[in-house]
Amino acid sequence: MADRITFEATVNGQKVGPLDIPADLMLTELLHEYLGLTGTRVACGQGVCRACSVLIDDGVAGSAAALTPLPACVTGAAYASGKSIRTIEGMAGDDGQGNPVPSAIQQAFLDHFSFQCSFCTPGFVISAQALVERLERAPVPRDQVEDTVLAAMNENICRCTGYVRYLGAVRDVVLNTPGLTTGDPEPAVTAAAGPAAGGRG
Amino acid sequence: MPAKDISRRQFLGTAAALGVIAVVRPLAPAEAAMMPSAVGRDPQWFQGGRLRYRRDGMAKVTGSKVFSLDMRARDVEGWPDRQSHAMTLHLPRADRVWQALDLSVLGDALQPDVLIDDARLAADGIEMQEADFYGRFFAVRGQVPGMMGQPAALAIWHDYERFRAARKLLQFNDAIWVWGDEAPQPPRKSYGGAQFVRIAGPDPRGADEFSPMKNYIIWPEETDRDIKWPDDDHPVFGQARRHAAQLHAEFATPPAGMQVFARHYSSQSVDPAAMEPENGLAWYDPAAGALNVIGATQSPYTVAEHLLAMVKASRFALNKLDFVTGYTVGYGQKEHQPFPYYVAVAGLYAQGNPVRLVLDRWQHFQFALKRHPFETDMTISVDADGVFQGFACEMIGDGGGVMNFSPSVGTVAVTAAQSIYYFPKSDLKCEVRPSVNVTAGSMRGYGTLQSMAATEMLVDEIATETGRDAIALRRINVLKSGMKNTQGAVPSGHLRIDEILALAENDPLWTNRAARKAEYEAANPGTLYGVGFAAVQKDFGTGAEAAIVQIEITPQGRLQMRHVSAEIGCGSTTAQLLVVQPWLGRPADDVEFSVMHWPQMPVHTQDQPYSTPQEEENRLAQDPAWVPRITSPRSASNSAYYFTHATQQAAQLLLRLGLWDAALSIWSGGGDGGQALAEPLELSDARWFEGRLTARSMEPLSLERLAERAHQMGLVTGVCVHTFNRWAWAEADFNVNGQTFRAPVDALSVRYGDGAPPDRKAAMTAGGYAFIPRLRVLYPPVQRNNAGTVYYAPCATMVEMSVATGSGEARLLSHKSWLECGTQIVPELVSGQMQGGIAMGIGHALYEDLPLGPEGPGNGKWGLSRYLLPRAADVAVWTQTGHVLPALSEQDPPKGMAEVVMIPVVAACGNAIAHATGKRLYRTPFTPERIRELL
Repeated sequence: MADRITFEATVNGQKVGPLDIPADLMLTELLHEYLGLTGTRVACGQGVCRACSVLIDDGVAGSAAALTPLPACVTGAAYASGKSIRTIEGMAGDDGQGNPVPSAIQQAFLDHFSFQCSFCTPGFVISAQALVERLERAPVPRDQVEDTVLAAMNENICRCTGYVRYLGAVRDVVLNTPGLTTGDPEPAVTAAAGPAAGGRG
Repeated sequence: MPAKDISRRQFLGTAAALGVIAVVRPLAPAEAAMMPSAVGRDPQWFQGGRLRYRRDGMAKVTGSKVFSLDMRARDVEGWPDRQSHAMTLHLPRADRVWQALDLSVLGDALQPDVLIDDARLAADGIEMQEADFYGRFFAVRGQVPGMMGQPAALAIWHDYERFRAARKLLQFNDAIWVWGDEAPQPPRKSYGGAQFVRIAGPDPRGADEFSPMKNYIIWPEETDRDIKWPDDDHPVFGQARRHAAQLHAEFATPPAGMQVFARHYSSQSVDPAAMEPENGLAWYDPAAGALNVIGATQSPYTVAEHLLAMVKASRFALNKLDFVTGYTVGYGQKEHQPFPYYVAVAGLYAQGNPVRLVLDRWQHFQFALKRHPFETDMTISVDADGVFQGFACEMIGDGGGVMNFSPSVGTVAVTAAQSIYYFPKSDLKCEVRPSVNVTAGSMRGYGTLQSMAATEMLVDEIATETGRDAIALRRINVLKSGMKNTQGAVPSGHLRIDEILALAENDPLWTNRAARKAEYEAANPGTLYGVGFAAVQKDFGTGAEAAIVQIEITPQGRLQMRHVSAEIGCGSTTAQLLVVQPWLGRPADDVEFSVMHWPQMPVHTQDQPYSTPQEEENRLAQDPAWVPRITSPRSASNSAYYFTHATQQAAQLLLRLGLWDAALSIWSGGGDGGQALAEPLELSDARWFEGRLTARSMEPLSLERLAERAHQMGLVTGVCVHTFNRWAWAEADFNVNGQTFRAPVDALSVRYGDGAPPDRKAAMTAGGYAFIPRLRVLYPPVQRNNAGTVYYAPCATMVEMSVATGSGEARLLSHKSWLECGTQIVPELVSGQMQGGIAMGIGHALYEDLPLGPEGPGNGKWGLSRYLLPRAADVAVWTQTGHVLPALSEQDPPKGMAEVVMIPVVAACGNAIAHATGKRLYRTPFTPERIRELL
């Protein structure tokens, strides 16, 4: 059999390992087949659709790596060993009774009816979360928010939604979260972007 | 969208005949017994009388297990924890004799634990059911494969690490195939064709001289290698053929003042690229003879029916079949697809282990169903006043290696070609042919994207050539309410596309386009600017839409619903909960979706809604438990209209037969006729006010109070309806408790409250319900099958594009769409469908393209790095707008709109490029290379 490594890491705040795994195992394989975390979905297997995005903190203070979503389908588990990994399963909190407490991004995706089939949703949550955390360190002027959101989310492919309600939700979180933007705050934006929803008739 | 689906009754009948215990169930309820299910547990989605988010939203946004892809054997209670892994091996070419599979690259250590091929299946008596429709399981050695991408074998490894190591060696490895000589494909039958000829009378709303509705559709004769159209003197079809010939003669020598425009259009093969690849999990327990399958399909009953027959005919014992369906997505890619049968075969051969079979993206391109490419010849004649006179359209489709839904995709495509226009004379002809390309199926749009995009580009060109405004020309020719379509059928209800045209005509983007073009091009040297517009109306429904819904109220006033609807992403399960509000005051409290077990509705069918002769149907319909079909396949655009009708009928009948009488009892109680004495009350007076029932000046009553009284009195407290639509609703007369009434349902069962007298309780033998035999039923005549369609939703899109003269790249600057879909149940879901459909249409117009032949996806070399899908930056995400026309009234039913929204943007892009460049493209997608050639 091929070379093997010992994998140890923190996944969503929990210590994992040591695990004896093939050295060429991809991170998605590790999450799915060894750890039972199937929310990180694989659609392309080439790192081009970003359904499988995760966040990996390399432990270096101030490192930008933790804030760059990585496609887990083409990221070796070996690379993630010894690091801290965040997946979709770690994005929501818990109310203490086993019910999820969604993150601000997750709540915005719910409020905006952002997703349909939801296969790509975990990747969008991760990309948006990374953007929010990047902006916490380096806010952008309010008039650059739409360009910033588009640049941050453009790698993620969705076939159902046309992106409008995903990006509109992220834009609202960025504009309405203190500290993520610079310049004079405008009145809070709450409406979903795109085709207006007319009256129910 | 004609579709074949297997009814539950038929399925269970088969199961009983075969002596098998068979269960089909959705993943979520199944999970309830297996593992904590996130869907439906979250109570936050509807609060304070307001929909906050999709009912399945919390489960989906937190990455819970909702797809079958997410499941592993260890997640399923009662299954072994161990799990094997399977892989299909697909032949990458179809031009040589395939001789053998050589797995020597795997060495001894990585050889599969099980290898299944055609010979092994034959030895064990396993055959694909309806092989003409789905294809043979595996290619046959010593023969030339019938299709690129055809599976040749299925291999199973019992541990993950050997599986993955072997997979890496086999992936993209053409050396595993041993080929013989080059060989031609043997001749194959055409997948079918049809011709629709209409010659109108003098009045567009009056009697036709000839039409499919009034007369017949022309069906060609099939030979072993093609089809043969009937001659003009054919005894059956001669008259129609002569009418068509006369129309073409007029095109050839038009009268003075008439101009004739004939163009050829080509559309490409497209993979809908559902993000969820084909997948499934199966476990066959040989000791128990139990086959358990968790699959991803839009047609679960059909799969289960075929699995029963397939396994029963084989050497494998079968005493129990459990088919579980997950949430899925496919845009038609997972409707009646062959893949679930491979999952089951993997299960049968996995030596008692649960086994998982998933296509990677390259295999998904290689084997999953595609959108048909069409070659289309289209002709329109127009008189001096700009009025269209004649229309001809001939479409030749490439159906790929296996028939699947090709025959109906062809007919639906060509009968939609008229788009939004009225034509006094028309000749529409289609044929779909086999090829070695990957099989095409019933993708979103069902062929109409290909036909209507062509029409909308031709009409735009006619406007340019005749010096007319493109929207003004459309308004001259628009199909108005009561006019007939090209099949001679009158579309249902008021046609509102002209309202949309009027709005578009006055939009500043349209009226200022010339000035904006000059301004933009001056400011952006090397870039051209164009505005394009297109408008279509898309049918929805299959012509045989059936549904079952049950709603009951508990003594405590909780509303409980059971529904056939399943979730494929469009939000139908959220919407169906809400549509009972007008009759019951609030959404259902508890709900079970994807219900396939209906003891409450003991109806039966032979499921031949398209082909049963009228006399035979009349005879069958005398049996009050007979219906033409039990349920329809899952599809996004059908649920809004057809399922809503069923849900609302059930809600309406619960009010009419139960809660209203309970209310009258309360209002007239207390002696002297109570508060109701001085007020004449009719059911039509009933109104819900802040969740309470009132009528005129009556005291508002809570659902809890009404429920308590209804149960005390033994009134109707539960209703289960079956509905059927053949381009009109079936209606039937019923008598419940001495009250005779007619309702647009064809079967009805009711449940009586706890206080019901013994005779009523004794009648509740059907799953706790009393089946009410209908007194009389009125099914829409079978001739309406020739209508093609009568239900339409209109949509138009205007796009603003830039075209780089150097690179040829066309990009969207902004776009605006108008839609009419009756009453919006959840406006946010409508808007989301609209945005998503437009993005998919942009992909078809500008990016997505699969070559036919040896370089096509059947060769296993296509992935998402080569196949371009639109991203957020490609769809004008911040600069798009949409407008939904308000409903005509609160009774205006919701219309299916998930397909129509993706179509006009395709032609609008082509028309914008023409405005930008002054030249026209006739082949989609409009790639930079093609635009460069144009320039």
